[in-house]
Amino acid sequence: MNLEFSQEELVFQQEIRQWMTANVPEDIRCCIAAGAMPNKEMQQRWERLLGRQGWLVSTWPKQYGGPGWTATQRYIFDLERAKAGAPPTSPFGVAMVGPVLYTFASAEQKDRWLPGITSGETLWCQGYSEPNAGSDLASLKTRAERQGDHYLINGQKIWTTQAHWADMMFCLVRTDTTAKAQKGISFLLIDMKTPGIEVRPIYSIDGHHHLNEVYFTDVKVPVENLVGQEGMGWTIAKFLLTHERTTIAGVADLHYEIGRLKRAMRETPGYPLGGNAARRIAMLEIELMALEYTNFRTVAGTDEGRPFGPESSGLKIKGTELQQRVSQAMVELGGLMSLPWDNEEAVGNLVFNRATRRYNFLRACTIYGGSNEIQKNVLAKMLLGL
Amino acid sequence: MDFKLPENTTMIADTAKRYLKDNYSFDTYRKQLAEARHINDSRWHTMKELGWFGLPFPESLGGYQGSLLDVAMIVRELGASLCLDPYVDLIVAPGKLLEFIQTPASLALLANIIEGNGRIACALYDQHAGYQAEVPSPILSRNRLSGQKHLVPDGGCADHYLVTVRDANALAIVLLPASFCHIERYRALDGSRVASLTFDDVEIDDDMILSRGAGATDALSRLIDYLRALDCARMYGAVQALYQNTLEYAKTRKQFGVAIGSFQVIQHYLVDMFIDLQQLESMLLMVLVKADQQEESERARATSAAKIYYAEWAVRIAQMGIQIHGGVGVTEELNIGHYFRQITHGALSHGNGDFHVDRFISLATEHAA
Repeated sequence: MNLEFSQEELVFQQEIRQWMTANVPEDIRCCIAAGAMPNKEMQQRWERLLGRQGWLVSTWPKQYGGPGWTATQRYIFDLERAKAGAPPTSPFGVAMVGPVLYTFASAEQKDRWLPGITSGETLWCQGYSEPNAGSDLASLKTRAERQGDHYLINGQKIWTTQAHWADMMFCLVRTDTTAKAQKGISFLLIDMKTPGIEVRPIYSIDGHHHLNEVYFTDVKVPVENLVGQEGMGWTIAKFLLTHERTTIAGVADLHYEIGRLKRAMRETPGYPLGGNAARRIAMLEIELMALEYTNFRTVAGTDEGRPFGPESSGLKIKGTELQQRVSQAMVELGGLMSLPWDNEEAVGNLVFNRATRRYNFLRACTIYGGSNEIQKNVLAKMLLGL
Repeated sequence: MDFKLPENTTMIADTAKRYLKDNYSFDTYRKQLAEARHINDSRWHTMKELGWFGLPFPESLGGYQGSLLDVAMIVRELGASLCLDPYVDLIVAPGKLLEFIQTPASLALLANIIEGNGRIACALYDQHAGYQAEVPSPILSRNRLSGQKHLVPDGGCADHYLVTVRDANALAIVLLPASFCHIERYRALDGSRVASLTFDDVEIDDDMILSRGAGATDALSRLIDYLRALDCARMYGAVQALYQNTLEYAKTRKQFGVAIGSFQVIQHYLVDMFIDLQQLESMLLMVLVKADQQEESERARATSAAKIYYAEWAVRIAQMGIQIHGGVGVTEELNIGHYFRQITHGALSHGNGDFHVDRFISLATEHAA
């Protein structure tokens, strides 16, 4: 039993910290510190910077361009990244389609698509959900008909985060309408510039545009963009659900957020709330401590070679619940300062004002990536044998 | 970081688990519950033979130099089997206090405990001081002592008490023979035997005062943090057993022609319990490492955090365990309700959640990740 990082890990932490201090661009740091979301240019500039350093795909095996870090090192990297006020990496390329490609794709496909992800050049989005296929993903209807050397795509995707930024989409499509629901699904890579694709914005309750509807009308996708075989789409989607994600709980960013809340309270002249606010923050810190040690155990287990199993669903559930609670505390402890909507500087500290937007945004985190109820269904079946 | 238990610790845990499984059933517990004296001579002897008496104490004092982690493995299993044997109350607690006091007189008493000859209990709390153990109500003045102690866990059979008292403005720890006190004995929520002590103007010889001032305060503070960590270990054992029983019940109990575990609402309750249990285990490992040190600030922060977390979530799991069992969950005949009482007791011992939130806030420093 040892709860401390090793000497080598502390040296590694120091190196990462120094690099972050010197390299996180000032405008991005300020944007995150004020509780805003980076725009596309900022996000991509930051990811390219990490790409040049060889750190963007920090979870990947060395042979595909990863830095060859242990799970503990990756965890430390994420802590230092958050502490330095840099945004988390967009998950679609690095954490989702990348691992699918190096696990299931042909050599040609790997050569073609992986370099753009490791460098941060290609931006991806995820085409999974449809208007009538949310939690019941296997009922998706977007049709891909084989016609010679291409598939013809017709249908609609929804809740597609960053589709308006993306160069590419990885997409679940139905290639066989006669097979059992799961068996007829395939995993296809689609160039977002292909004629017949229309991206329409959905504004979410934080007032911003992250989400989209994507319409496909007779969109031609070359057959070489199929990953694995036809009908393998569901297997690939399930692989992603349990793929190792040591940072899924969001511990690093939670530390940063609670720190920001405490600082904002200190730095707001005449901040009106006393004892009860301190109690509330103490409870959040203790919840975070429990989550962090659970996360540490998973990370240490990964380094001992234990596979990252369905326990990650537990981290996702607890982590997202805590993200919501922290952002809710920030809004509620802001009081009147949290109420102006389109004039951030109108009352008091704009950190509280921005928190309102973030609180609205984060209502989605217990829904996306498999709603927490779906995660619980998975756990009940796989871990509890119910 | 490394969360693997040392091999030796695993052996201690396995031995404790096996011993209690073979020798302490729910029936044994229910019989013991009705008894006024909680030392069972045969089990007490075996516990000594197993090395449990010496385990928590340094080798130089005749102990086996076990860590808090080692001791907690035994206490966890005591919790899992609802065992009422006063191992913590008559061995660990008085022994650690005497070890921390660290005077020749206290160490001689400790040697006696390790030998299995002592029947000393700690009298730390009274109703006026509440959880503020460092400012006890009984007053020692010119070698005369008056006052009361409440909820003294003594297995129903202590012959001496380590009593915390106020001497002028300092804390003092006095060794008081049972014959000096009026003793009222009763059963506590968790089934353990406890006593209220009243002493009215009794005369105290100087050699009965084992410690006074800063040394006494430090020893008491270390002891209580140590016991807080053991509270968590006992609650973890209980809450894990309760969870396992509840999961088993959900798979076998049929209503509407199917196992109730096939209903999604029950599944989600059980998943919540499972996830919270994982978090409780993480907090337990954390506190067992951090409460086992002399340096106060980190120790205090860790123990308060763990106690708060257990008061919130172990209690929640225990409540859910009863809910899923339905009517049978609220009967004396089933162990679930007994686990529930033990967990409730643990959440209120050595500071409840509210007390520890206040303590945690007063300790607050910028937490460096």
